[in-house]
Amino acid sequence: MTPSAMRTWVAALGVLLSVSAAARPVSYTGGWTLLQTANRASTAGLLHYSISHNVSVGVRHEWQRGDDVTLTALQPTLLAKRWYGHNYQANVYLTGGLGTATDRSVASLGSDTASFVGVMTDWETRTLFVSYEARFLEQGKLGNHSMHAARFGWAPYTGDTGELHTWLMLEVDHRKHFDNKTTVTPLLRFFKGPALFEAGYNVTDSAPMFNFTYRF
Amino acid sequence: MKKILLILAVTLTSLPVFANDNHRVMDHHAQHEKNQGEMNHDEMNHGEMNHGPEHSHGSHEHPTENAKEDVMTMSAAAITTTDDITAALANGGAPVVVDVLGVVCDFCAVAMNKIFGKREEVSALYVDLDKKTLSLVVNKGASLSDEDIENLAKKAGYRIAAIRRDAEALGG
Repeated sequence: MTPSAMRTWVAALGVLLSVSAAARPVSYTGGWTLLQTANRASTAGLLHYSISHNVSVGVRHEWQRGDDVTLTALQPTLLAKRWYGHNYQANVYLTGGLGTATDRSVASLGSDTASFVGVMTDWETRTLFVSYEARFLEQGKLGNHSMHAARFGWAPYTGDTGELHTWLMLEVDHRKHFDNKTTVTPLLRFFKGPALFEAGYNVTDSAPMFNFTYRF
Repeated sequence: MKKILLILAVTLTSLPVFANDNHRVMDHHAQHEKNQGEMNHDEMNHGEMNHGPEHSHGSHEHPTENAKEDVMTMSAAAITTTDDITAALANGGAPVVVDVLGVVCDFCAVAMNKIFGKREEVSALYVDLDKKTLSLVVNKGASLSDEDIENLAKKAGYRIAAIRRDAEALGG
């Protein structure tokens, strides 16, 4: 198998196993969470451990497919604020990361230190969901990227504990280093117990989105 | 890097906003204690209150103001019966119903199942997303104080609004 064919298979596997970074990046005290995401820009995985109900520490690995750059970083996340209601929950998360980015292309520029900061916020009821997240990434000679994404969701029915929860969602993202800077992705979210799966298709950039989260 | 430093600076300067919100909780507590001193307990209708028998005002954080408003609209849900809960009650366990704030999805239920399920005092539990309650059965002879329940809910990432026990938990 050639290196490019190998990368294609790895990308396909990553897409199939991808997870949503926006799905509660801090868990309960002592809880582990595996998150994988695959969208038009990258395929990424994050494994984190919650040392308290408002702080998690994880390891992130992502492949920026367009530039063929990989990023490996330590990623702490702080649940800065949670609003508790009888019928809703709202959160503000702050995150950051420090690691190494490596150019995997044929004309490789080598490696450089990478760092990022991000903010995520969401408001959710049993049937409505709104979120926004932003990330600013610096990779030295390998380039800097920024990303903004907002999401709106609606659940056609309210599932009880342990039942399958289904959401219809629409994500709008903005990445200024892409030709299509602002794009739209309709998606379906399926949620049952400790597992969450999302599948969508970016209609602007003609790219699939697959996300998966598992909490244990 | 300048952009990252700028964002960090903005983030750090915004943190006092969050801290102020915590002060509000403390202010509420202080006000609550003050009101307690001013209250005429003969005029109070204790039957409508949600304080459990082991409730201690000095030992826990009170719900935020918005949470308090929600409490006012909550109805007192009885324990949710599952096979495990029915069996635990039949073995002489004590029923407890906890109204939980912020419970909107299965991840919330998973968190509370993990945290409360590790306690040896708890013989059965169920998180009811429809009722927004945590139903517990405490082993016969064991005890789980209101403060313990509040601390465990906090470890799970949630807040409680009320705790009902025994006959009240059974809907009596």
